[in-house]
Amino acid sequence: MSTPALELSGLKKSFGKAEIIRGINLSIGKSERHAIIGPNGAGKSTLFNLITARFMPTAGSVKLHGEDLRGLQPYQINRKGLSRSFQITNIFPAMTVFENVRCALLWSQGYKYSFWNLVNRSRQLTEGADAILDQINLLGRRDLPAGALSYAEQRALEIGITIAGGADVIMLDEPTAGMSHSETDYITDLIMKVTEGKTLIMVEHDMGVVFGLADRISVLVYGEIIATGKPEDVRGDPRVQEAYLGAALEAEH
Amino acid sequence: MELILVNIIDGLVTGLLLFMLSAGLTLIFSMMGVLNFAHASFYMLGAYFAYQISIALGFWMGLLIAPLIVGVLGAGVERYGLRRVHQYGHVPELIFTFGLALLIEELVQFIWGKNQMPYSIPEVLNFTAFSIAGNSIPAYKIFMIFISVAIFIGLLYILTRTRVGMIIQAALSYPRTVEALGHNVPLIFMGVFGVGTALAGVAGVIAGPVLGTFPGMAFVLGSIVFVTIVIGGLGSLWGALVASLLIGWITTFAKSYNLAMSDVFNAVGIATPENLSDHWLRDLWTVTSPQIADILPYILMVLILIFRPAGLFGKRHS
Amino acid sequence: MSDQLTTDPSKPAQRMRAGSMSLTLMPWIIAAIALILMPYIFTSNSALTIMNQMWITVIFALAYNMLLGQGGMLSFGHAVYAGVGGFACMHIMNMSDLFASFPLPVLPIFGGLFGIGLAMIVGAFSTRNAGTVFAMISLGVGELIAACSVIIVAFFGGEEGISGDRTYAMPFFGNEFLQQIDVYYLTSFWVILAAALMYLLSRTPVGRMANAVRDNPERAEFLGYSARWVRFYSFVASGFFAGIAGGLFAINYEILTEENLNTASSGVILLVTFLGGVGFFFGPIIGAIVFTLVQTVLSLQTELWAFYAGSLFVATVMFFPGGLAGLLMMHVPVFKLGNAKQLIQPYIKTLLPAAIGILGVCALVEMTFHFRHASIGDDEMTLFWTTFDSHTLLPWLIAGAVALIGIGIAKRNASELKEAWDAANTAGDAS
Repeated sequence: MSTPALELSGLKKSFGKAEIIRGINLSIGKSERHAIIGPNGAGKSTLFNLITARFMPTAGSVKLHGEDLRGLQPYQINRKGLSRSFQITNIFPAMTVFENVRCALLWSQGYKYSFWNLVNRSRQLTEGADAILDQINLLGRRDLPAGALSYAEQRALEIGITIAGGADVIMLDEPTAGMSHSETDYITDLIMKVTEGKTLIMVEHDMGVVFGLADRISVLVYGEIIATGKPEDVRGDPRVQEAYLGAALEAEH
Repeated sequence: MELILVNIIDGLVTGLLLFMLSAGLTLIFSMMGVLNFAHASFYMLGAYFAYQISIALGFWMGLLIAPLIVGVLGAGVERYGLRRVHQYGHVPELIFTFGLALLIEELVQFIWGKNQMPYSIPEVLNFTAFSIAGNSIPAYKIFMIFISVAIFIGLLYILTRTRVGMIIQAALSYPRTVEALGHNVPLIFMGVFGVGTALAGVAGVIAGPVLGTFPGMAFVLGSIVFVTIVIGGLGSLWGALVASLLIGWITTFAKSYNLAMSDVFNAVGIATPENLSDHWLRDLWTVTSPQIADILPYILMVLILIFRPAGLFGKRHS
Repeated sequence: MSDQLTTDPSKPAQRMRAGSMSLTLMPWIIAAIALILMPYIFTSNSALTIMNQMWITVIFALAYNMLLGQGGMLSFGHAVYAGVGGFACMHIMNMSDLFASFPLPVLPIFGGLFGIGLAMIVGAFSTRNAGTVFAMISLGVGELIAACSVIIVAFFGGEEGISGDRTYAMPFFGNEFLQQIDVYYLTSFWVILAAALMYLLSRTPVGRMANAVRDNPERAEFLGYSARWVRFYSFVASGFFAGIAGGLFAINYEILTEENLNTASSGVILLVTFLGGVGFFFGPIIGAIVFTLVQTVLSLQTELWAFYAGSLFVATVMFFPGGLAGLLMMHVPVFKLGNAKQLIQPYIKTLLPAAIGILGVCALVEMTFHFRHASIGDDEMTLFWTTFDSHTLLPWLIAGAVALIGIGIAKRNASELKEAWDAANTAGDAS
């Protein structure tokens, strides 16, 4: 097997005395759609933030295409081809929808910190941004300020910004959080479409989304992965039933 | 040796005075996340009000009433000014307090004119407390130390030992939770702002007679106060105390010992250039410590920011 | 209609590009023509001086807004970049051999380079953060450099500053810039050039990312950009144009002093920029023109002009955070809907009494000032072309009444204005 797209080994994180992530080993292959599920407080978002250098790990390593990410800044990780979305919508609300996407294209199209190119003169940028807008069905909202979009549209834009840079590893943090059923279906299809051929790692609560999208699932409970495997295997795993689905059922009553 | 003792006392007076301002400023900052640029203006208002009151009712009534008026004004500024600007974000808030500082200075000039006011030490305290090797220490300085320390202890007591203090401390970190528990957080904010400005007012009342009561007094002290809380670490009360004393002592000692830069260079083995008056670094060579005493806090701040960006006692935020 | 415009990806882009070319060029051409014609309308030397000051302030304010408006960095010490640029130009003016080897219009570039140099040093540690920390560092560094001006006499000239003579430069097509009008055209050339460059800069990748970092630094980092570097580039670019403004100042006034560096100057540029409006590129231009005019006119009329300017500033921050440009742009939808006419009458009905009321308040302020500060025995004062005794009751009553009635009427009519405003902003009502 070739180098995995993302490899976590012995990853640990403590806040003071509380150990939130207690040694995670996980290997995610190229073009795999991998979902991380788990009850509230299991440490899913912390794990995400560890991978993307928002937090420093206490121990262990994160490797992207075999390359250790330790000590890198978020923007450096992004340049290596890993892009993420946020649980709380994180866009540029004052800019137009089009400009949001265009900003996301700048680095990958090689403009860097250029002060001699004019962005509206570049055909490539305009067409590239419009193509992304087309993919996420927001062309009709092109020139509106992003802050004026509906919640579901903002989530779609967030995904658009995340994929725009052409990263091959995409991390989505609860992309369907707070959405209605129809919106959830819509976003699920969208994710399916835009992550074609890419590695996807997502944290998700909605079981329908997870079982529909993921090739493999990892179950995170109290900072440890108790099971990893194909959706049907995970579903049948008694430990998962006990730790996660059971807890979920209990909570529903 | 005796001179050192005198300087320690002088530096302590300056440092504690700075602390009375920086304590309120840092408290307001950690609460609302905004630096009150007009903080030193309230200090100036304290001095002017106290002067006006002292004409009619004497110094002691001024000490009592002026800070109260300043505090009420401060609370009013929070209630009707800052709270309105708050919705636009931190930068407009900062700009608002900056504008307010300008306006208060103009207002003071409008009412009292541009000249220094004849606001002086009360007769009762106008004597020499004791002498150290011929250097007399005026009783007023001792009085200033006494007042500042008393206020600091009072503040510490209120913040750590009383229920109000607990609520304030909780409101600093978890405003929403405290609000959900049924406390009126906006009122707490307004109160802390009022108390913070009143503290600045007290500082003005007692510093006015020594440092002079004139329209530029806010500006002279204001930027030093900012430097102080940046050095101490934004939002840290202990940091404010340490930085205030540090700055008080550094500036006092730099002023009292006439140390020339050329001596320093010579001491480390660099010879003075032959024709100094034409040398392009001549200003660096001839500079003396009293000359740079007033800019030492800024140099210290720049150094701190380069080597320890969060300040001496600041929490490193990610 | 807007749907049609946006559903086809290829067409609107082209249409916008073709349209935007002429649309973006027009204001520049008009501005250039206006700059050329101005001296024919305002011929006096003092008018030229005021205009020169205006254009220098325009450049400085635009440079300042690169930080504040576009990069979200509030600086309380930006005067030092203009000042150091100006001082550097002054020194070059005094190096006769070097100065005689190039024409005067080139000089501001040196100011800009010194601005860049200083901005790179300070920016290296100050752009780590935006917001409050950045503001505090800018204040501290500003104070530090301003205080240095009396210590480092070799560069800053101490209390009396540094002066020079611009006419020692190499003649520029035979022109030695002896006349005010020559300097006017030099300044005008630079204001157009600098403004155009700054406008173009805001349209480059680093300019766009400055906006992105201002709004959401974390998101920008996850798009591959280091927020700190983006801030650093904005800061350095702003330092460059501030330095240019400083160089032009040196050419105009031929003297620089500590006043060019101190916090008061930094405060003025903040005031100018905010008054004009930080949200739009042209905001600072309006701010610089209006402020310079107000300053010139008011300071001739009243000693209290700084007090009025301060009040105006605080009122702007509290009630119109978008500044003058924001107020103007608020009306664009109304014009687009063709409802502008509906607003004229309510505006007159509210703003005219409000203006009269405010003048009444100003009269009260002026009278109080005169009452308190005029020398003893000097009871007469002149206000609005009327001379009266400020120690009698009647003028106070009149001013008070004017103030009360004016503001009263304005307040009563304000609700009408609001209704008209809402109506004018609703499509369909008009037709």
